[in-house]
Amino acid sequence: MNRALLAHTWRAYRWRLLIVSVALVGWGTVLPVVFDSFGNQFQGLFDSGAFPKQFSQFGGGDFFSLSGSVAIGFVHPLAVGLNLVFAVGYAASAIAGERQAGTLEVLLARPISRRGTYLTFALAATIFVAVTNAALTIGTFLGAVITGRTAELGAGNLPILWLNGSMLFWAFAAVALLASAASDRLSPAIGISLAFVLVSYFLEVLGSLWPDAAFLQPYSLFHYVDAKADLAGLPHPGDFVVLATVIIVAVTAALVVFPRRDIAAPT
Amino acid sequence: MAVIETRGLGKRYGRSVESLALSDLTIDVREGEIFGFLGPNGAGKSTTIRLLLGFLHATTGGATVLGGDIERDSVAIRRRVGYLPGGIAFWDGLTGERLLDELADLSGRPPVRRAELTDRLELSAATLRRPVRDYSRGMRQKVGIVQALQHDPELAILDEPTEGLDPLMQRAFYEYLDELRAAGRTIFFSSHILSEVERVCDRVAIVRAGRLVALEEIPALLARRKRNVELRLAGPAPALAGVAGVSDVRVADGRLWCRLEGDVGPFLAAIAGAPITDMTIEPARLEEAFLEFYETEDEPPPPPAVPPVPAAAGGSVSG
Repeated sequence: MNRALLAHTWRAYRWRLLIVSVALVGWGTVLPVVFDSFGNQFQGLFDSGAFPKQFSQFGGGDFFSLSGSVAIGFVHPLAVGLNLVFAVGYAASAIAGERQAGTLEVLLARPISRRGTYLTFALAATIFVAVTNAALTIGTFLGAVITGRTAELGAGNLPILWLNGSMLFWAFAAVALLASAASDRLSPAIGISLAFVLVSYFLEVLGSLWPDAAFLQPYSLFHYVDAKADLAGLPHPGDFVVLATVIIVAVTAALVVFPRRDIAAPT
Repeated sequence: MAVIETRGLGKRYGRSVESLALSDLTIDVREGEIFGFLGPNGAGKSTTIRLLLGFLHATTGGATVLGGDIERDSVAIRRRVGYLPGGIAFWDGLTGERLLDELADLSGRPPVRRAELTDRLELSAATLRRPVRDYSRGMRQKVGIVQALQHDPELAILDEPTEGLDPLMQRAFYEYLDELRAAGRTIFFSSHILSEVERVCDRVAIVRAGRLVALEEIPALLARRKRNVELRLAGPAPALAGVAGVSDVRVADGRLWCRLEGDVGPFLAAIAGAPITDMTIEPARLEEAFLEFYETEDEPPPPPAVPPVPAAAGGSVSG
């Protein structure tokens, strides 16, 4: 870990982090407000049979309770996309992007080990993801305050939801950082990382909408975030174990791969 | 003491012949010298530098820099080394000043030479307050030089350092290198610009197709080069056949051309009394020495073809 490199990374990304965090606070605030305003209409819509019942269970949530609505909001493509700005965008470019730009050469000419460089980037990704998930969680709390539904939300369990959501994106960040550490160019690192996320997302959505494909859901990392259970104070310990395992494996692999590989000359 | 010592250092990227980037490089760079590392693009210069700094892992041999092993002690080595990459890239959103501050922080040593470097290279405070993305090629190169030397490293590894600098700046930079040498700093100077290597370096290694083909003191290298001689004659040409150091004699239209190598005494004795109206001797240039190594053979020279190193040179040669 290198303090100067961490400070450099923070200075480079702080404004982007602020913008993404503000957007996530806004999105989180909207979730309880939308449920408060349209919850009954959603209930009527699905009761009428206009939409298949599975559509109301997207991402393990539902439209009929505040915690269910929040759960849907946490895995909504907008929230996922905003979180991926750092979980994939930053993590995938941290090493491969610097290599492609030629700045990794300047960086690695300093007295910083490859492992130290990787761990610094990993720490930065950890902080960024923690902040963006905190923003989403804080937004959700604000929305519950605005609508007067803090007790119904189970606000005391928001830290569990934050941890569960953060671990999901830490896992994606760890995979993206591994791809970055193993690549010389940015496009493969981004491509592999995004493909991993998209396949994971597709399996979860497909499984939640089509009962015959439900067996695919355990192969998706999104399956291991259950916002509704977290807010009820009944998180699944196994979810945390699975996500932690993915993080540990990806970090360990990167710590082996990055120091051993050759760093190609800038192109 | 050898600041850089390589022993049979080699790098291969795959199994094919073309994948051999560097082969069996054995050199010693002494403390307090400016060591020229010469070769055309693709000869193995950058590969050598990248091996020394730990960017690449050697497939054969090994090396020490400042007494530390390049594999085991890479971090400790880089704490004492300044590096200017060829075609350097920066974080372009930063101002020059901020960039130099951050790079000094990352080096972990105070930028004690920054003020004198920016002064010599005419990087004004106003310039350094502008974002690097607005800099010209030459200004970027100046910032690159400053970042490599600002923390007063014991060894500076400079890859094509004068690229993009105008002649005045080049001269100022050469003078600064002379001062660094006088202060006991060691410079590893990679270049394909022969005139600057001849101007600033004490010794030079010439690499070709990943192999070392020469390692000598520059004066010794030049002394062994053939000089071109032209005589204008008002009468019969002097007999130069068999004169020591003289070769390629041609006579036509009242002129004599020949090539002269080594001691000029026998040549001067042979032309004494000849009806010479004018004489031109082109001094030996490093360029000729360099081209000689590159023009003689298409294939990389095998080990026996490596020119012998005079004892005074103190280095070793490996083919």
